[in-house]
Amino acid sequence: MSVGIAEAKRERSERRRGFLLALPSFAYMVLFFAVPLIIVLVYSFATRTSTGSTALSDWNLDAYRKLGEPIVRNVVVRSVILALVTTVICLVVAYPFAWFCAHQRPTIRNLLLIAVMIPFWTNFLVRNYAWRILLSNGGPISSFTEAIGLGETNILFTKTAVVIGLVYAYLPFMILPLYASIDRLDRRLIEAGRDLYGSGSQTFRRIVLPLTMPGVIAGSILVFVPSMGAYVTPELLGGGKETLLGSYIVTQFLTARNWPVGASLSFVLMAVMLVSTIVYFRSGGKNL
Amino acid sequence: MNEPLGLQQQMSAAVSLRGISKLFDDVTAVDNVDLDIADGEFFALLGPSGCGKTTTLRMIAGLELPSAGSLQIFGEEVGSLPPNKRPVNTVFQNYALFPHMSVADNVAFGLRMRKVPKSEISTRVQEAISLVRMTGMEGRRPNQLSGGQQQRVALARALVNRPKVLLLDEPLAALDLKLRQEMQFELKQLQREVGITFVFVTHDQEEALALSDRIGVMNDGRLLQVGTPEEMYDAPVDRFVADFIGRSNFLKGVLESSDVVCLSNGQRINVPVVATVAVGDDVQVSLRPERVMICQLDAAPSGVAKLSGVVDTETFLGNSVVYRVALDWMTIEVETDHRPDVARHAVGEQVDVWWRDDAVAVVKP
Ligand SMILES: Nc1ncnc2c1ncn2[C@@H]1O[C@H](COP(=O)(O)OP(=O)(O)OP(=O)(O)O)[C@@H](O)[C@H]1O
Ligand SMILES: [Mg+2]
Repeated sequence: MSVGIAEAKRERSERRRGFLLALPSFAYMVLFFAVPLIIVLVYSFATRTSTGSTALSDWNLDAYRKLGEPIVRNVVVRSVILALVTTVICLVVAYPFAWFCAHQRPTIRNLLLIAVMIPFWTNFLVRNYAWRILLSNGGPISSFTEAIGLGETNILFTKTAVVIGLVYAYLPFMILPLYASIDRLDRRLIEAGRDLYGSGSQTFRRIVLPLTMPGVIAGSILVFVPSMGAYVTPELLGGGKETLLGSYIVTQFLTARNWPVGASLSFVLMAVMLVSTIVYFRSGGKNL
Repeated sequence: MNEPLGLQQQMSAAVSLRGISKLFDDVTAVDNVDLDIADGEFFALLGPSGCGKTTTLRMIAGLELPSAGSLQIFGEEVGSLPPNKRPVNTVFQNYALFPHMSVADNVAFGLRMRKVPKSEISTRVQEAISLVRMTGMEGRRPNQLSGGQQQRVALARALVNRPKVLLLDEPLAALDLKLRQEMQFELKQLQREVGITFVFVTHDQEEALALSDRIGVMNDGRLLQVGTPEEMYDAPVDRFVADFIGRSNFLKGVLESSDVVCLSNGQRINVPVVATVAVGDDVQVSLRPERVMICQLDAAPSGVAKLSGVVDTETFLGNSVVYRVALDWMTIEVETDHRPDVARHAVGEQVDVWWRDDAVAVVKP
């Protein structure tokens, strides 16, 4: 009996200690994530006055109704396609690289992983401008293709340029989780697959891929989500020719001065991402 | 007698290694191994940690390519075939079950890879699962099984493919003693039932003696001796083999003629005819503790090899008593039965130790 009480007491004190340790990050999340999210939510129900300011009265769903209009729908579809293309390219590029890294000696592996992170040491804006120079008409890439007889390449201010920029920017977010899950993969399982008559590709599909799926999905989420809302890269490398979600939201806030629509769109985007991420971790988390 | 047997084995050899070597960077893991394993045989590869057993097995499986030599499975050269093209399956040391698949899916894997018809797969999987007595657990994941159960699934996963040769890498090492003994028995039973050639890697000499038709002892990448358990125990040709399989006393000496050894104390003893060592070479005489007799001073029968000494220690082991008898040039271990009719000897007592000429084996030092 007394043992039970002591145990319960210890459990309670351990739980309290865990709570105290988590408190700073908890406070941070509330202050910088939950509160802004609530503000966005509140504004999405507000009314835009004729002068372009926002009245926090007359709560209504007009802003959400606006999201069903074709203009917004086109923007969303375009952004989703772009984000998907970016994610798939990142995946295809990152998987072999992460595989290669995981199979190197520790020193080489660390060097490679550091190399992946080096771009982060330079400002994001600067890196985008660098790409602008690289891709510009008559720029290094264009001169190179011309020199080897392929003619000029004019890809700046195209979708291709935007995808290149996004892939470049978010590739590390794909590589790192993939590397982590490939590194964790027991190599004897691959040998077992081969021993049980699996060819290289069969073994990859039936064993390697399912077991590294957590990395694939985590990486895909980490690339897809920011690609969906990307603003700087489409503006600088795409020249803002085609409106994507990020720039559409910015326009709503700054140019059109329609804060409720900007807020509702932001909120829906965030909610969809959040829910799908939670659904994934709830269901897929069990696998490994 | 030896020649025709060798020939016959060669013709029906399930696995045949000729001059097989494997180098990792500058480590020679396997060094020029010649070995024939007969069809239907339970063959144990025995040796201490790091001697190259796993590497040898992996070369047969195709998971490692030999640096030199030729490797045949049922007469077909397989040296460079990938693992999925070889008629062998492996039971891995830590089972290597696929964690994301159920027991049934694990077992069905090999058949699915070979595109066996679905209906046949399900009956064969059922058969294999019941063969290893795992019926009713088809839906479980490997992490929901005990070590012994995982071991059985690994066995079923390999056997379901009806391989010509089954390779087992210390499949029982992770189990506790009682379960291990149980599984040893089952494994032997199973091998008789399915009649598949088993190549079994172990560093446990008792396991090797109990299970196998023949044993190959390895050390430092070299295959030292191959033979039946009795041959390995009674007539080891190498000191390492004699020491590794069972316990033994080693008396230094020189081979004077094919059946006489002059021990280093100057005494001459008769030994079984030696063919593996040249006359005039240094040898060691291996003398198993339970084959040495101990008696009161001068009570040894006449015409046997004997040495006199003093009992140094006496250890009671339940079914036997072990004496260490100090001679003036070495110490000999003697093991006697513990029975009412066997006399005991006290520490400090003067005794004779003696043995029959055929109780010893002459080994390379
Ligand atoms: N991939 C490898 N790279 C380098 N050296 C290796 C490799 N695999 C094995 N070795 C070396 O080859 C030798 C034989 O190894 P092996 O695994 O065959 O031993 P083993 O007899 O199976 O030992 P254990 O009983 O400990 O499993 C060892 O010295 C080992 O260090
Ligand atoms: Mg091993």
